[in-house]
Amino acid sequence: MFKSRLFLYWFAAQVGGLVLSGLACAKSVEQRVVTYLDSQAHTSLYPPAAGFYPNGMIMAQITDRLTWQDPQTLEIKPWIAERWEISPDKTRYIFYLRPGVTFSDGSALDAAAVARNYDTFGKGNKLLHLPPAEVFSNYDHSKVLTPYSVAFYFSAPSPGFLQGTSVLGAGLVSAKTLAHRFEELGTGQNIIGSGPFVVQNDIPGKEITLRKRPDYAWGPPNLGPASAAQLAGIHVIVIPEDSIRIGALLSGQADFIRDITPQDEAEIVRQHYCMYAPSTGGVSNSIAFHPENKFVQDERVRRALLLGTNRAEIVSQLFSPSYPLAKSILVAPAKGFQDYSDLMPFDPAKANALLAEAGWQMGSGGWRQKDGQSLTLTMHEAPQHPQSHEMLILLATQWRKLGVELRVISGSPGMTILDNLNANRTAMADVEVGRADLDVLSEELMAKHRNVLLQTGGQSRYAKTYTDSFLNTKLEALVSTPDETARQTIARTIQEHILEHALMIPVFEEPQVYVGTPALKNVLFEAVGRPYFYKAYFASQQGGR
Amino acid sequence: MARYIGYRLLHAALVLWGAYTLSFLLLQVLPGDAVLVRFQDPELGLSPQQIADIRQAYGADDGVLVQYWHALLNILHGRLGQSLGMGVPVVALLKITVPLTLRLAFCSIVLAVLLMLVGSYTALLCPPHTRLGKLVRSMPPAVHSFPIFWLSILVIQIVSFKLRLVSIIDVSDWGQVMLPALTLGCYLSAALIRVMVASQDRVYAQPLYQILQARGLSLLRIWGRHLLPNAIAPVITQTGMLFGELLAGAIVTETVFGLNGLGRLAGQAVSNQDVAVMQSIIILTATVFVVVTFVVDLVLLRLEPRAREAFKIRKTP
Repeated sequence: MFKSRLFLYWFAAQVGGLVLSGLACAKSVEQRVVTYLDSQAHTSLYPPAAGFYPNGMIMAQITDRLTWQDPQTLEIKPWIAERWEISPDKTRYIFYLRPGVTFSDGSALDAAAVARNYDTFGKGNKLLHLPPAEVFSNYDHSKVLTPYSVAFYFSAPSPGFLQGTSVLGAGLVSAKTLAHRFEELGTGQNIIGSGPFVVQNDIPGKEITLRKRPDYAWGPPNLGPASAAQLAGIHVIVIPEDSIRIGALLSGQADFIRDITPQDEAEIVRQHYCMYAPSTGGVSNSIAFHPENKFVQDERVRRALLLGTNRAEIVSQLFSPSYPLAKSILVAPAKGFQDYSDLMPFDPAKANALLAEAGWQMGSGGWRQKDGQSLTLTMHEAPQHPQSHEMLILLATQWRKLGVELRVISGSPGMTILDNLNANRTAMADVEVGRADLDVLSEELMAKHRNVLLQTGGQSRYAKTYTDSFLNTKLEALVSTPDETARQTIARTIQEHILEHALMIPVFEEPQVYVGTPALKNVLFEAVGRPYFYKAYFASQQGGR
Repeated sequence: MARYIGYRLLHAALVLWGAYTLSFLLLQVLPGDAVLVRFQDPELGLSPQQIADIRQAYGADDGVLVQYWHALLNILHGRLGQSLGMGVPVVALLKITVPLTLRLAFCSIVLAVLLMLVGSYTALLCPPHTRLGKLVRSMPPAVHSFPIFWLSILVIQIVSFKLRLVSIIDVSDWGQVMLPALTLGCYLSAALIRVMVASQDRVYAQPLYQILQARGLSLLRIWGRHLLPNAIAPVITQTGMLFGELLAGAIVTETVFGLNGLGRLAGQAVSNQDVAVMQSIIILTATVFVVVTFVVDLVLLRLEPRAREAFKIRKTP
């Protein structure tokens, strides 16, 4: 009975598909447009703002970068730059560009254009409100050597720069684009890149249509012979509601969707759709302590919380196999990764002992108390990360067994940002950064960058006392040591230091989950998990249906 | 009459200014501001000095009164400004969202009124004291108590995903509002029917209607010619309010159906603390409400002799 009904549905779907394709016969079958559903709309498409997923997906299709990072080996390969020279102290980089590349407005992508891009990304432009990019640390200036070679100079060694030239935030755009103010870059048509797709139409908040650029002939050489894209275009539509995106895909109204909850994955796999869960390539999704907070100042308390967290339970209950259990601060595919699972076992007995040793005695109702005060920790959920709310609620029930109260707040974005800068209000935060280079550690931890531990010297006005000089020395060394092997050793030291002093609790390795129709083949992902449709094509005439 | 209109215009101006000022103050009370939400976002990883420069460039640290004065001047000159969150002029956002919201509101309200008429006649056929009558009268509150969120998802799952009758992705301007209008129309009609039936039950109890029946008029004629005009006044007021609310955007329905109408825009603007967008929407919405109530009053004046009496009395000092 069940089977026959399934057959009926299948039959109905086939008939429906035939009717629909019959209706749509005017469209070219082979060069179809991909219908891509996203949960959020893009914002300002200034390249350094490409970290936001919807922005990154668009920038990956419409811009090229100087170099291409192999998502598997993480090696840096030629792209717009055919080759490069790096001074031994890593303060000067010379790139030799491939000639003949043009932006979609016809202007040439030459040394002058690259210099203009990098000067803007490296230093920002106050007049146009364009902020600098975080990946270009120590950037000083550029120099156009010949029409197709350009040099960049740094005030201090900048070993992460070569990888920085491959990230979406360093997407090359035309001079016209960089003449706009930041507030005008949310209009897709204003973003002129040299990529395999071009923005055709943009309805802010609703959809953006990309069409292929027929004369495109300079894709990353490692991806095979350069050619124009095989898709006619990509139609990105914003559908905020999870169940509607999935339903639309399963009923053939869409070809590719982003942002799948782990609970929906099983159904998608059962229906033989293709699930993609590329790693975002940087640090694990972690709980970062604010050691200046009076409750977690004591290392014993932090260690107790680390040992009292059943990370395996969180991963198995709330996530799917696409979300591996974190084994260190860095994710497993990252360079400099080492398995530090033995530094963070689940050991509630030891956790209880440590809390007692720190003076927190079990009081009435099973809550730990010291000097008449309860051990109550407060933190914000991070809605940009998957299942953040659920994860923190489960964490609260786990810590409840230790006698520790965890209060999870969900506030407006403004309130969250302000509270997360104030160690008096929040004891920790749920953090993650995606970048496939060791510099990700400095971006996450350095006071002048994201400063997740809230050390002094950062954005926080409230950070008064806490500073970890050992960590900072190592971070400085990491961003300025030219030798790659030495950098990896430093990165290991940093990870050990963080875990030994229980400054963070790594929970899971955050992927970005997408689902596509099986007919859509060869969707590639760049090193931080954004899809790249340059070589994608539809296999059968039925397309996705 | 001129004096009446003048009074209403003054009243409208005060309402607009009040709504504007109140919303400005409320946005000020929220922690942080649009510049902070946009640039202090950890995704950008900017240094404190860089953020300080940006805040200065936007004048984000000027006093509240200075900011209020600038914002008010801009709006009086018709300059709606830029959305900091989305990087698009506010005018462009309104040009996209307003027509969609208008279409959705128009279709939903037309459907709701048609359903209201059907409901009203059905209720007349089933007198309130009978078992069937009680059942019929309990339907609208039941429908109205479904969460609209759930109702919307149900409609999409059945009509679009299971039966595959309509696509909800990538459809024409009018096509995309059909399903949401169906959902909203059914939902809103429940509210209208409830008011209508209560009103007509009260009116219908008057002896006039027994006389009309005794004279042999058909029920349809009694309903159309005699009952509706006498019972509909509260429904018109209610319809006006609902229409006003719809024009302010149906945030839940829009989100579920993936429509970018005014409601969703307003939701995003609030969470990004995007003052320019929020203020424009508030001005627009307040204007709509003022206009709709004015039109409703005019309709009632035409329809209700009693209201006309009241108006005359107020006119002569």
